[in-house]
Amino acid sequence: MGPMNDSSDLSSEMEVDAFRRLFPLRFHERHLLESIRPDGRPLGRARDTTLAFGAVASADGSALAKIGCTTMLAAIKMEVMTPTVESPNEGCIAVEFHMPPICSPTVRPGRPAEVAPVVSKQLSDTILRQVVMTFSGMIDLKDLSLVNGKAAWMAYLDIYCLDADGALFDTALLSAVAAFCHLKFPMVSLNDDGRVVVVSGESKGGKSGKEAVNKEQRKLNLISIPFSLTCTLHNNYILADPTAEEESIMETLVTVVLDSSLQLVSFYKPGGPVLAFTSAVMVSSDLQKAII
Amino acid sequence: MADLRLLRMRCYWRLAVFRTGAVNAASGSAYAEIGDTKVIVSVFGPRESKKAMMYSDIGRLNCNVSYTTFATPVRGQGSDNKEFSSMLHKALEGAIILDSFPKTTVDVFALVLESGGSDLPVVISCASVALADAGIMMYDLVASVSVSCLGKNLVIDPVLEEESYQDGSLMISSMPSRDEVTQLTITGEWSTAKIHEAMMLCLDACSKLGKIMRSCLKEAALASQE
Repeated sequence: MGPMNDSSDLSSEMEVDAFRRLFPLRFHERHLLESIRPDGRPLGRARDTTLAFGAVASADGSALAKIGCTTMLAAIKMEVMTPTVESPNEGCIAVEFHMPPICSPTVRPGRPAEVAPVVSKQLSDTILRQVVMTFSGMIDLKDLSLVNGKAAWMAYLDIYCLDADGALFDTALLSAVAAFCHLKFPMVSLNDDGRVVVVSGESKGGKSGKEAVNKEQRKLNLISIPFSLTCTLHNNYILADPTAEEESIMETLVTVVLDSSLQLVSFYKPGGPVLAFTSAVMVSSDLQKAII
Repeated sequence: MADLRLLRMRCYWRLAVFRTGAVNAASGSAYAEIGDTKVIVSVFGPRESKKAMMYSDIGRLNCNVSYTTFATPVRGQGSDNKEFSSMLHKALEGAIILDSFPKTTVDVFALVLESGGSDLPVVISCASVALADAGIMMYDLVASVSVSCLGKNLVIDPVLEEESYQDGSLMISSMPSRDEVTQLTITGEWSTAKIHEAMMLCLDACSKLGKIMRSCLKEAALASQE
């Protein structure tokens, strides 16, 4: 995201840069008047998005998602557990979101970022709350069951932010969903004690009568796929997919999560000085639909 | 196995790839992939030292190494690695011209995405590329290589499995063009002759790794000029 004006004169470029640092709000408002943003995008356009599957070889499912410069790496590791008494035919999903100090100058080791727990909560809400309503859940927890009451999958989903440049939740959700799409259940078999254990790759062709319980490497069935879009509100302007700089200057954020059938999944507006009037909400969700 | 190892002895180590500019939010950063070991290092600063710090004529270096929860075959805690953090600090300290940024701190943060053996040497080499990317003045790049002693054999750039069987290990961090060593660690059982042989092997490998790192930086510099 380089400087936006390729002015030939170095001194004027320096001035723009200084202006940007000293009067960030005025700098951005000046751009808004022209209906353009410092990185050359029109107000309603999101940044380029890329997605790569299988980025982590040691995980059972993984994905790397990039929106602009914001980069998230999600990986899922599966473990066999004993299901709870209340829901003997369901597995479990644990979602964790990490912001290591490499991702942003504001994060220091030993002092976790303030936004990390917020994004973490939002993520697990979005991924798990759906599960409760079985008719429109993203994942049916019953799919994670192996042997009723005896064994089920415990899915550990870890999302690492590698580069933070705004729209953290959008990117994190995208990488999480992609990791679930990429997920392949490991092979399991019954051992001599009658317990279900994961079979590692090499010993799969074993002779000792240990048949794999789940023969084919199953993939997880995703019932509906959530997408999210964050917008910044400033006066009458709505900026889709803000960068970290825009987020820090114009503090009102609205995040809309829709699923693949355009049903509203969740809606966040964590405070901010600008009121989210109805039209803004409508426009945000319209923008979102356009992006899907 | 022996044949494979011999083959690797000749070509020295697993495929090494370095890329700069992995993290936009940082002043400088690098991604290194050597075999299955994948590491990202970000450099921040020079920036204001913590308030509690004493006044210092020379710059400070602050290092931190952490692992992702999925880095190791068994899901870990993803916590900070204190030992590696201080080893990284000591390996880099001698190479950085600390006089060039008095009163301020340079932060070097590393995240091991996947651990495939020889993690610390990869972190050190990657960190020095990231420092160069951030424009921090250094006497030279620091290239780091480790050797494992397995019975009678010396294995350079060991993978995770080889490390778990090793009798001893030796790691050298060196500045190849100045022919100086910033860090040397030896653990386990070694005979003097073996140490000598392993050191020669490491120093030779360091100079080759240094060339790979240098060419990566040159490529990045050329690309940014265009």
